[in-house]
This record gives sequence, C-alpha cells and structure tokens, in this order.
Amino acid sequence: MKSVAAAGVTRRFGSFTAVDAVDFEMGPGEVVGLVGANGAGKTTLIRMILGLLEPSEGSIRLFGQAQTRQQRRRIGYVPQNLGLYRDLTAQENLEFRADIFGAEPPDAPLASEGLVADMSLGAQRRAAFAAATQHDPELLVLDEPTSGVSPLSRTKLWDLIRQRAEGGTAVLVSTHYMDEAEQADRLVLMSHGRVVAAGSLESIIGNRTAIEVDADPWDRAFAALDSGSRLITLAGTAIRVLGESAESVGATLAEAGVEANLRTVPATLDETMVMLDS
Amino acid sequence: MTATSGVNWGVGDLTVRFGKVEALRRVSLEVKPGAVHAVVGGDGAGKTTLLRVLAGLGLDTDGIIRIPPPGRIGYVPPDGGVFGDLTVTENMEFVADGYGLTGWQKRSSALLGRAGIARFGDRLAGKLSGGQRRKLAGSMALLPEPDLLVLDEVTTGVDPVSRMDLWRLIAGAAADGAGVVIATSYLDEAERAGQVLLLHDGVQLAAGSPRSVIDGMQGNVSNVSSPDGHRAWRRGRRWRQWDPNGERGGEVTLEDVAIVAELNAEERMP
Amino acid sequence: MILKEFRQMRRDRRTVALMVGLPILLLVIFGYAARFDVTEIRTAALGPGAEMVEGMLDDAFTVVVTDTAGGVEEAESLLRDSKATVAIVTGAETTVLVDGTDLFSAQSAMRRAGDLPGEIDVEILFNPDLSTSTVMVPSLIGLILLFIGTVITSLGVVKEREQGTLEQLAVTPLRPVDVIVGKIAPYFLVAVLDMAVVTTVGLLIFDVPFRGSILMFGAFALVYLFVVLGLGVLISTVSRSQGEAIQLAIMVLLPQVMLSGMIFPLQSMAAGVRWIGYLLPLTYFVMGMRGVFLKASSFGALAVPLLLLTLMAVVIFVLAILRFRRDLAPKQAAIESEPALEVAA
Repeated sequence: MKSVAAAGVTRRFGSFTAVDAVDFEMGPGEVVGLVGANGAGKTTLIRMILGLLEPSEGSIRLFGQAQTRQQRRRIGYVPQNLGLYRDLTAQENLEFRADIFGAEPPDAPLASEGLVADMSLGAQRRAAFAAATQHDPELLVLDEPTSGVSPLSRTKLWDLIRQRAEGGTAVLVSTHYMDEAEQADRLVLMSHGRVVAAGSLESIIGNRTAIEVDADPWDRAFAALDSGSRLITLAGTAIRVLGESAESVGATLAEAGVEANLRTVPATLDETMVMLDS
Repeated sequence: MTATSGVNWGVGDLTVRFGKVEALRRVSLEVKPGAVHAVVGGDGAGKTTLLRVLAGLGLDTDGIIRIPPPGRIGYVPPDGGVFGDLTVTENMEFVADGYGLTGWQKRSSALLGRAGIARFGDRLAGKLSGGQRRKLAGSMALLPEPDLLVLDEVTTGVDPVSRMDLWRLIAGAAADGAGVVIATSYLDEAERAGQVLLLHDGVQLAAGSPRSVIDGMQGNVSNVSSPDGHRAWRRGRRWRQWDPNGERGGEVTLEDVAIVAELNAEERMP
Repeated sequence: MILKEFRQMRRDRRTVALMVGLPILLLVIFGYAARFDVTEIRTAALGPGAEMVEGMLDDAFTVVVTDTAGGVEEAESLLRDSKATVAIVTGAETTVLVDGTDLFSAQSAMRRAGDLPGEIDVEILFNPDLSTSTVMVPSLIGLILLFIGTVITSLGVVKEREQGTLEQLAVTPLRPVDVIVGKIAPYFLVAVLDMAVVTTVGLLIFDVPFRGSILMFGAFALVYLFVVLGLGVLISTVSRSQGEAIQLAIMVLLPQVMLSGMIFPLQSMAAGVRWIGYLLPLTYFVMGMRGVFLKASSFGALAVPLLLLTLMAVVIFVLAILRFRRDLAPKQAAIESEPALEVAA
C-alpha cells in the first residue's frame, strides 16, 4: 500500500497552472527528495498532499484512502519556519501538539529550558522534528529540514530522519540543497509544475556533462564567456559551462584571445537541475 | 574599479565581544582582490559577526582589521537588504542616489541582466520570490563597484537556478577585481570558492584553499555499512566513518572535513 | 532617502488611510458631531397645558410627545425609556423633569428652563448631581470591551499567522471551529473579568448606581462581547502583520469613541453624521448600559438596542468564521490572484 499516491494531479489558480498532471508515489520507509526551482510547483504539491489545498484535477490518496481530516493524525509536518510558538518553551510546544494528536509527549525535557526564541537553530530544528514525530506519523513531510545548521548538526538531524524511515515512516523532503538531496533514496525534480526527472541521483544526472575551463588569469576567460544566456558558474578558480560543446566554448575563448585548458567533466545535480529547467 | 594592487583586505587575530560573550576568538582571514572566499559554519558559528566586521559595522573588536572605506564596500545582510515597497528599479535608484553615482543606469541594467531579474524592473521587490530578492540585493550591493563585497548567506534557501545567477554575479564581481567574501552553511558552495574558512562556535577550525583544507585533514573518511562509535554519520542509506589514524585513500570531500573538524572540536571540549 | 520614504508611504495603504482619514474624521466630528451646547432637545409635554408648552419654549426644545392626560409618573417613565430628554408637566404647578444621564442636553435644558413662565420646579432624574463619572463609567465598560475585543484579540490571532503556526494548525485533525473557539475563549474570559472589575470599581468607588435588572446587563454584555470578539477575528483575517491589525483596530475604535453617544449625544450631531452613530455597536451598548445602570429602563425600551446588537453579533461573527475558515480549510477551486510568487517562498 502506497503511503502517497498522487495521480494526474493538477492545480490551477485562475489562469495560472501551478502543478500540471503530476504522478507521484511513495511507500513506507522511503526517503524521497522533492527538488525544484521557485515556481516549480513543489510547495503547491506539498500543500495538496497535506490537505491544505484541493487539486483542480486528479486525485491524491494517502495510505490507500481518500484524504480526510482524521487521517491527519497519521501525518507529521515540519514547515520551513518550524511551526513552533516562539514564546513558549520547547516542552510546552510538544505538549500542545501531543494534546492535539492524542500522543504522549516525551518525558525528557528537550535540551534547554528556555523559550524557543532563545534556542539555537539546531536545537529549534530538533524540537520541531520532535513535535512532528511524537505521534508516530506514517507520513512525514519536511520542508528544508536542515537549512542553516552546521555540517555536523545536519548529519544528526538526518540520523533522526533515517531512524524514522527505518521504522516504516514514509519521508518526503522538499529542498533546494544538493547536500540534502544526496541524502534521499530517490529524487523527484519539478520544473514549471511538471515532473521533469525522477529516480536515483545517478540516473538523473545520467550522462550530463559540463565543460571545465582552466585559464590563468581566469577573469579574462570569465569576461569572454559571460554573455547573455550562457550558463556558467565558478568552481574554485575554474569556470564551468553548461549545455555547450567543448568546441563551441573553445571557439569563443579563441576569439577573445584567451588561452585555456578545457576538460569535460560530469555535471553536478545542481547543474543538471538548471539544465532541465531552462 | 580594480582594487589597488598589493593591498589585501581581511582580519588578523580578530576577537569580537558582545558584552561578556566572545562571538569570535582570534580569527584570521586574508581577502585577496579578485578572489572568492567562503566562510562556512552553522548557526552561531560567528559567520554573521565576521561579515559585519568586514562590512565596516562598528563592533567591539580586538585585532587587525583592513577594509576599504565605507563607500567602497558592498554588503548584503543575512535577511532582506531590499525595500519591499519599492520596485526593483527604484531600489537600484536608491542605492545610486545614496552613493552619489552618475550614469548608473547602464551598469544597473547589466547587473540585473546578469542576475536574471532585468525583466522585473517595475515589480515591487516585496512581490519577488526569495531567490529573486536575494539577486536584487546582490545587484544593489554591486552597483557602486565596491572593492570588497560581503554577502551573508545570500544563497541560503534559494533555488538552484537563482543560485547559479547569484554565483554569476559573484564571479563577475571577482572578475572585476573585487575581493568577495560569502558566508554559507552549504559545503558544495564553499567548494566553488578559492579560499575557505571553517568556523564553529566563534573559532576557526580550518582555512585555506578547498584542496589544501581537504589534504590537511587528519586521518581518513570512508564508507562503511554500519557505524562504529560516534565518529560516523549518515550519508543516504550508508555511513561515513572517520578514522583519525587512518591513511588517506578514496575521495574525501569538504563536507567530510567540516564534519570531522566539528567532531574534533567536540571531542576536545572538557 | 526622502523620495524612497514617500514612495514606500504611498504604497502602504493603511498608513495612508490613517494619515488622510483620521484628520478628516476628526474634522467631521468636531465640526458636526461634538456639541457642547445641544440645540435639539427632545421634549415631552404633559398635562392640561401640554399643547401650549411648545409655543413658550426656546427653539432648542423639540416637542416629540404630547400627552394632555399625563402627569409626573408618565413623565418619569418617558424619560426612563429614553423617549424624551426633558418632560414638562403642566398643571397646578409646572414641573420640569430632566434626564440627568444626558449631560449636555441636561445642561442645555437647565440653562433655558428660566424661559418658562410661572414658578417651575425642576428636577433632575437619575443623576441629580449631573456627575460625569456616573454617566461615563457604564459607557466605559463598552469601550474597554471594544478595546480588548478588537485590538487584543486581533493581535493574538495575527501573531499566529505571522509565526507561521496557523499553517501548522491547519494540518492537524482540529476543525476550524475548534481553533477559533480555542483562540477566543481566553480573551472572552479576560473581557468578562475586566467588565466585572470596572463594574465593581464603578459601584463602590464612583458610587454609580445599579438600578436595572442584572439579567438585562448580562444579555447586553454577552451579545456585545460576541460583536467585539467577532470584530477582532475579522480584523485579523484581513491583516498580515500585527502592525496592520493595530492600524485597522484603531480605525474601528476611534470613531466609536466619538460618535457612539458615549460623550456627545446622538441628538446633537448633525443628521449627516448621526447615521454613522446608528451603525456602531458601541452606540447600542451604551444605550443598554445607561438604561440598566442608571435608569432601570423597561424591557420594551431596551429591546430594540438589544435586538440590533444581536443582529450585528450574528452577522459579524458569521463573517469572521467564514473568513477564518478560508485560512484553515481547503476550498474547491479557490481562485487566488498572486499564487506563484507567494507559493515560491
């Protein structure tokens, strides 16, 4: 039984189509990363899965049933802004949430005694996570769960997430971050309301490549290549160019009288996303 | 436009206090013109404090600070930096007026074009998406052609396409000769910089080019199927394990190094 | 800098409304509503000489009731039911009864009473000392409740929206009704408490009398509370920040202070402005409070204000709940205008 089964889901706002005929499924124990640019439709899709919005077309079934209000007891959600009351303590937040969902709040008070507003971001994120999971949800939806915390804190949060998944919870993570996307079992890439790619990280990147340009001084190479719609980015002191052949890049450089070494390298997930988006 | 050659900006042995609390302790960062420097760390590491010092905002400091005069510094704070009630063009105009720039429209168009928001000229900044707002803030900071560009978490929470546009702005600034310092909590970003500074709890854990920082890490990090002790962390369905005494083999990323540095710092605490 | 500030100001509609609207409002009020000297005093003429009374009076007295058979008792109940502010009872002797709860009218009447011929016996009912506090304290209850209901309640709900926790509540099994009741209940209790305190202080320290029925008092209070709390929730559904909520609450509060008859009698306001007073909930609450505390008005006299207040309560509260539900519950094919950019954040 699939935890989430979205079929042909479309959502329109007036004449604007935010989500366009999306098919999406996930099962218990999976960690799925939902990635996409702004306006890609990620947020709208998530809001429909959570029951905050109704699809204009198509259907969403959770745990094999149509969506109901009671079903929300089986869902946990951590929004980007954490959804905690800043003028209460972490424990008070947990107790409030526990009352609503009919769960037992943990006995051990979380890290600090103070108000949420006075806690460090890492502690706040852990508290938000605890508040969303204390009722043992079968579906967990997380929006940018580790944004802004240190690298080690990030792994600790991911440890908590993985533990949940190992316990059978289906986890949907929405993120802009490649570090996070790489933690998921599989990814779903959205762009302009549609799913443009899905699968493992490797399968999504596929054979895509970038041209790495090594020139000294690099600023002349950059000046030569930085024009109009060319997709370029920095990598240390090298420049990476997307969506163009080595010959074409070489020609542009030669025309500008810049000498450089060119290498064809695999694209990163970031770069793949940008190429799929354009 | 180009910085005076031979002058490096930066801080040396910098300590910053807020009352009794030391937000930064003896941190050093050399900022070379024409290069991008990434300051990496989580919340509370001291990134914003360091960047505020570099931006010339008065704080209680000890140590050496070398920065250009205020009119030659461009700064984007961690949140906002744009006027929501003004249009994109009006925001740029405000900066131009404030810095007393003439003939700025051409540069403004070029910057907004590079940032990918030129077509939003008449849209209210408050109605832009998060990524677009950050790009506007970046463009505003670059309008006066600063010698030192300080960007605080300008790519945090921003989508990949906008992030690429932002990096283009950043690269452009460096190509024009500015020294660029960006703060980020994302390691894949830090790898794009020429120089990296790892901060944690106000103390610097490592500094140098990404390559040298990686090479300089003690021990080895490798994939294991199950963790052994607390020196391991999850990566997808597997684990990465740090062996302080191991010999280097296999790929070690900047993220591994940052995590190891924090583990090290935690272990050394009483 | 100046240019930027102007541009920002121009776009902040609520602030502009306040800056432009408030002076206009004050101008209107002090121009047309605030009257220290009342020029239209509703008068009742009773007794055998009733019909002749009008001719002998100053223009300010407008005879609205004529009862040739009536005497002092009837005059009193006319005043008690607020059917007139002054009653002139002719007969063997002339007695003038003045409603002491309408301070400005009473003073006006007193000043002109000397115009009547013969010996007259003037009696001020309900508030013989023409004490201001006696009249103000009951009305104050209404003001305080209005403040709590609109300002405080709207802030409480908007804060939820600002913190992003409203969204969290939306994904729980809680029904919108649960959320609203849960949010309003504390403010309801606080309001009731405040009311009790003001009433007690009024009765004990300011010697404000309580002559009417407690049941009536309770009925008015309950209905009025629903009105103001509903207003508070309504304000919160159209405000995106605490600042906006306060601005709107002030715009709702201020006119009511001036135009509800609390300070300046409705009768004295120019007709063009008076109708605004009839739209305000505080107006009817003040009528009710004065009736209950000071005059022991009959049920019939108070029924109309109570009914109107009830109607307002129902309309406002229903509107508030409908709007609030939109924030919490999904709606089929809801058409929104700026989706993509908000959604992206």
